[in-house]
Amino acid sequence: MSERPFFVGYLGLPRGLRFMTLALAVSLLIGGGLLATVIARAKDDPGPGTFRFDYGRQTVTGIVALTPTPILHVTKGSEHIEAGRTLMLSGQGKNGALLRARALEGRLANASGILLTRGDLDMMQLVCGEAGLGPADGDAPMAPEPEDLGRWELAGEICDGKCAAGAMRPGTGIAHKACASLCILNGLPPVFISTRPIEGETFLLIAGTPEDPMPPELYDWVAEYVALKGQIVRHGDLLVLDIDTATLERTP
Amino acid sequence: MSVRYIPVQWNRFKWGYDAALLASVGVFLWAFLRVTPEDLGHERDVSGAIRNARAFGACAFVMLTGILCIGPLARLDTRFLPLLYNRRHFGVVTAAVALTHFSFVLDWYFAFSPAGKYEALLFANTSFTNGVAGFPFEAFGIFALLSLLILAATSHDFWMKFLTPPVWKGLHYLIYPAYAAVVAHVAWGALLDQENTTFAWVVHVGALLVVGLHLGAALSGRDAAKPRTAGWVDAGDPATIPEGRARIVTLASGDRVAVFRHEGALSAISNACAHQNGPLGEGRIIDCLVTCPWHGFQYDVRTGRSPAPFTEKVPTYALRLEGGRLLVSPDADPPGTPQRPVPVHRGRTT
Ligand code: FES
Repeated sequence: MSERPFFVGYLGLPRGLRFMTLALAVSLLIGGGLLATVIARAKDDPGPGTFRFDYGRQTVTGIVALTPTPILHVTKGSEHIEAGRTLMLSGQGKNGALLRARALEGRLANASGILLTRGDLDMMQLVCGEAGLGPADGDAPMAPEPEDLGRWELAGEICDGKCAAGAMRPGTGIAHKACASLCILNGLPPVFISTRPIEGETFLLIAGTPEDPMPPELYDWVAEYVALKGQIVRHGDLLVLDIDTATLERTP
Repeated sequence: MSVRYIPVQWNRFKWGYDAALLASVGVFLWAFLRVTPEDLGHERDVSGAIRNARAFGACAFVMLTGILCIGPLARLDTRFLPLLYNRRHFGVVTAAVALTHFSFVLDWYFAFSPAGKYEALLFANTSFTNGVAGFPFEAFGIFALLSLLILAATSHDFWMKFLTPPVWKGLHYLIYPAYAAVVAHVAWGALLDQENTTFAWVVHVGALLVVGLHLGAALSGRDAAKPRTAGWVDAGDPATIPEGRARIVTLASGDRVAVFRHEGALSAISNACAHQNGPLGEGRIIDCLVTCPWHGFQYDVRTGRSPAPFTEKVPTYALRLEGGRLLVSPDADPPGTPQRPVPVHRGRTT
């Protein structure tokens, strides 16, 4: 049997173990730092979505529509939001704007808040109360006529529009599943991120019913990579997807 | 005979151990958090809370992997024993790092909603039946965290006395399911989430290291095959046991016995230390006392008793020499029972 130094804590380090123990401590320090750097450098790009605090608070006027998630067809824009755009609306945190929007459906309203943008996805986080969404003077012009684009086969991910737009980075993916479900349950817009653009759009708003802003069967599939079929309708510059839940399947 | 016997208390080595441990955790977190989006060519950074959660989560995984490697490493090579001495502090710091990871996750993914954070944790992701791929990985993490917190809370010797060493030791085997849950938590969460496979490699190598080292230690510890009959057990040629060291013998019952040679005579005590079941047979005789390799508890090899004023006792076993072979009684005598040491006389029958 080899006569290796034998360590007993309260007797202190035997001479033969001092160098080895010191070397272990130093390699733990350096190795830990290197390993952390390797892991941290391996992160995926979280995407360009973000709150546009740099734009400041934006106030626009438009016509409120419900899918039943509230959207606003902008008729009078602001510095950073042109007339003709369609915005998804959300409250603060994980709160939707449905209650405020219901009373204004089809009417002209002023919406004020911070813009969130990611690619072709535009969302406004409204400030609280009527200052965020309230009736505007004047008659509502005609909202853009919904245009039926037919039935499509799509692949991609179901998530909430606010996190996906950049409220969280990353605001998509399986690690974000619970958060996305919580957001949708609280009335934030459910969106589908398609792997290929449909009529130039990657983000599609998912349609629901007045009782369920998103079909309940979809919660199990949130944040997963899925294939599905559904009917797509254009509302202004926003595509709204009515998912045929029977066609959902997980894709590798 | 001196009674140089101080149980696990603060000493210089422990201070040094904890300082090196905390410094390593600090360096890991600093190195993780200092990587900027510019370094990676990304337009924007990951949200602060998510970045912190990832840093603490990765650190907890690496620490837990390290803790689980220490035991088998020290069995395979005694020069790693200094790492084992203060392993409990390592565990407590790991639980704290894991708890911090959890707080960042809870205060981000489960906050800002009308429902309470803890309530949301329970209902936000319940896809338990929608196939393996989408299984809520949070459940694995919650199990692992609760296990780590239980282990950390009961890590003090008070709890070992209170629960008794066998119950305490049994409870602390919870570390293995906890580690399996951590691997599952990471695999179903971070690994499925990421396209980059670097972290997947780290996790696989870490988990394989833990499994490989445990297998290696188990195989190297198979010094004697378990006898099939329940009679006295052949412990081999007594002359080959070095002075001040032991040979470990496995009985038919599965219990292990440490046969020590001290001043030319042989005595046998249980291999399991009364403190935390440390392997006494891998210890040495220091100042006439068997000294446990884990935390240095000491026993008189002829009686299995710790020297006064300490009261720990381990079972002892009768020995006899027959035809030059050493035989160990299959039955343990009650802890602290004195045995007459058997002198080593090569080739003589007693
Ligand atoms: S001294 Fe702790 S297990 Fe023996």
